[in-house]
Amino acid sequence: MGRADGSDRRVTTSAVDDSTATILHVDMDAFFAAVELLDRPELRGKPAIVAHAGGRSVVTSATYEARKFGVRSAMPVAQALRLCPNAVLLEPHMEKYRDYSARVMQIFAEVTPLVEPLSIDEAFLDVAGARRLLGSPARIAALVRSRVSDETGLTCSIGVAATKFVAKLASGSAKPDGLLVVPENETLAYLRPLPVGALWGVGASTQESLARLGLRTVGDLADTPLPVLQKTLGEASGRKLHDLASGLDPRPVTPESREKSVGHEVTFERDVADAETLRRELLRMAAQTAARLRGSGLVGRTVSLKLRFSDFRTVTRSRTLAEPTSVGRRIYEEVVAAYDAMGVEGVPIRLIGVRVEQLAVAEGGRLALWDPDEEWREAERTIDEVSARFGRGTIGPASLVRPKTPPTEGAPARR
Amino acid sequence: MRFQANRDVFSEAVSFAVKLLPQRTTLPILSGILIEATETGLVLSSFDYEVSAQTEIAADIEEPGKVLVSGRLLAEIASKLPNAPVQFSTEETKVVVRCGSANFTLLSMPVEEYPSIPQISGQSGVVPAEEFATAVAQVGVAASRDDVTPVITGVQLEVSDNKLGLVATDRYRVAVREIDWDGGDSSSDPVTALVPARTLQEIGKVLGHSGTIAVSIMNKDDRELIAFTANKRTVTSLLIKGNFPPVRRLFPETVNNYAVINTNDLIEATRRVSLVLEREAALRFTFTIDGLTLEAIGSEQAQASESIDALLTGEDTVVSLKPQFLLDGLSAVRSEFVRVSFTKTENPNKPGPVLITSQSSKDQAGSDNYKYLLQPNLLLR
Repeated sequence: MGRADGSDRRVTTSAVDDSTATILHVDMDAFFAAVELLDRPELRGKPAIVAHAGGRSVVTSATYEARKFGVRSAMPVAQALRLCPNAVLLEPHMEKYRDYSARVMQIFAEVTPLVEPLSIDEAFLDVAGARRLLGSPARIAALVRSRVSDETGLTCSIGVAATKFVAKLASGSAKPDGLLVVPENETLAYLRPLPVGALWGVGASTQESLARLGLRTVGDLADTPLPVLQKTLGEASGRKLHDLASGLDPRPVTPESREKSVGHEVTFERDVADAETLRRELLRMAAQTAARLRGSGLVGRTVSLKLRFSDFRTVTRSRTLAEPTSVGRRIYEEVVAAYDAMGVEGVPIRLIGVRVEQLAVAEGGRLALWDPDEEWREAERTIDEVSARFGRGTIGPASLVRPKTPPTEGAPARR
Repeated sequence: MRFQANRDVFSEAVSFAVKLLPQRTTLPILSGILIEATETGLVLSSFDYEVSAQTEIAADIEEPGKVLVSGRLLAEIASKLPNAPVQFSTEETKVVVRCGSANFTLLSMPVEEYPSIPQISGQSGVVPAEEFATAVAQVGVAASRDDVTPVITGVQLEVSDNKLGLVATDRYRVAVREIDWDGGDSSSDPVTALVPARTLQEIGKVLGHSGTIAVSIMNKDDRELIAFTANKRTVTSLLIKGNFPPVRRLFPETVNNYAVINTNDLIEATRRVSLVLEREAALRFTFTIDGLTLEAIGSEQAQASESIDALLTGEDTVVSLKPQFLLDGLSAVRSEFVRVSFTKTENPNKPGPVLITSQSSKDQAGSDNYKYLLQPNLLLR
């Protein structure tokens, strides 16, 4: 992947054959920071960091000027300020970002109905059907860039390619404020020199096992016989990586891309070691997550717990349920069981998170002969109804009423 | 090693020994079949740490020995050999199979790395083979196939007095059946064993025609094991750990509201009407004094309905059932007529389970004590 500070930027400047490169990946440049700078024009060209105030917060977004100093998203603010002491700290405003995101997505939707939002600030566009009306994919990409800039004052980078993952890589190469077209017949030439870590699904551990085989670039991967990769990485991932390295990615742009997971996490002001406090935090987040699932008519089958320790080591433990759920109590019991099973009681925790994955639309009507969550399900449905009438927080678990007070004699026993 | 065996006997023995091997094994060596020639005969075995199969056949042993070869390959070869005596010998690391005009040379696998096959000790009881095979097929259909919940992927065997109870569930339905159990003089303490449903169904097939099956439940080195033996064929399986849910209490003690229907009519009508259903959708069954009406509703594209004869006792009833779950129960009752009973629950938001039992004639309840309990869906208008 690019160095995220634009130092290895590559853009398309001359005409290329883009006739079969019909997939656009649009990625807003330093989105949150850029939105903040719309209200603080005097900060243009200066390093700025978007982060909550407070000693323990992490960088949400940073301008390219700050990134040149090594500042990255998710880095602790304290570390970022050591790297770039002159950076201005800006408080995040999620409402504003959502608003701008909606405006940008609207522009995409006017170009093609085939828009697959990936997150608040990036999306895939399939423009195969829009060529007759709007011109070649490169022209459409240029149009999107100028409309985004004119209508919002923000810049974006666009990768144009024949497949989703190459388009995404290309937008990364073009950052910031650039456009890179990778024609289909140049895909391999573009991919081969990239490090294997640029491919989707290649994390640190995969990278390590590939390095043991002497495989460092995407080209190395593509030249390795499939069985060798499959032996090291497993049948499915071996094939997937081999395909990606060979420029193959059959996934279409799917417009109604539903949320892939729902969750909450919190970074503590001060590391928390007390298991009781952590469990209470899990209860709160499990309830929030479940309420969001029910609000979207979804259920999830995998529940995961995320912990970050004082040394920033981060671990995730997932548990798959027999039955997809949107019951907060079930989610809570699973994450608590995951926490208990890790044997980290008493170990200081910096960040804790709850996430539900493998989402599906809740099926109305299907019942099991017995359901341990039946009563909780009904109780939570009642909580939803009360919250809808009287506002969120009017009703909830008793243990969350005074979260700061340590449990005293006669406190409810934990389960 | 060198021996000669009857072609059909050898082929059947190999086929039996490899049948329970998983399609893909984690260790290549476990895909082998172990062949041991001793003075008393020929023993063929397979074992993948979960399940083992072992059989003994007669053969002319010219030179005793022990060899391990690829199970599936040998089974395929054996099944296609010409009708002539099979001559089997080893030459260094090779195995040579000669039969009539056909010659095969296979590579042998390192026999010393092969795990030792579990030895059976003691005998807990004997069951009639055919009845056992039928019961396993009837009950196994309700077992869960989802490995996330290992406990309910098994069939629970419950021995008490002179009965063997079989129970399986996937949380949407429960199937139970009792068959005779001859425990001999051994203690009459109730015993339970949770056996993987897939293995048990396979055992029903391979031992179902053997007269009687001897069953042993063993507790060895912290590993619980069950063994089934008939006609010099033995299958062992590890038991699933955990407590089976107490599903028997879900069954109603008495039901006054039920319908009797021709089983085949109901199967055919259910299959027809569900053609228009979308995946996972349910069928609506309306029972009245005039009969039973099946309706596929909820799909915008297509709808279907059909009415068939049904003899209703008690009040009119409407239930929504997933067709496949109903069909599984109907196929398992194995009687010309079937009784569909409706139970009540205390929870107003949840329809009571439907009970499916056999019916030896229109007016006579079946005597096979097979019971299939199915949870209806919510009735969506």
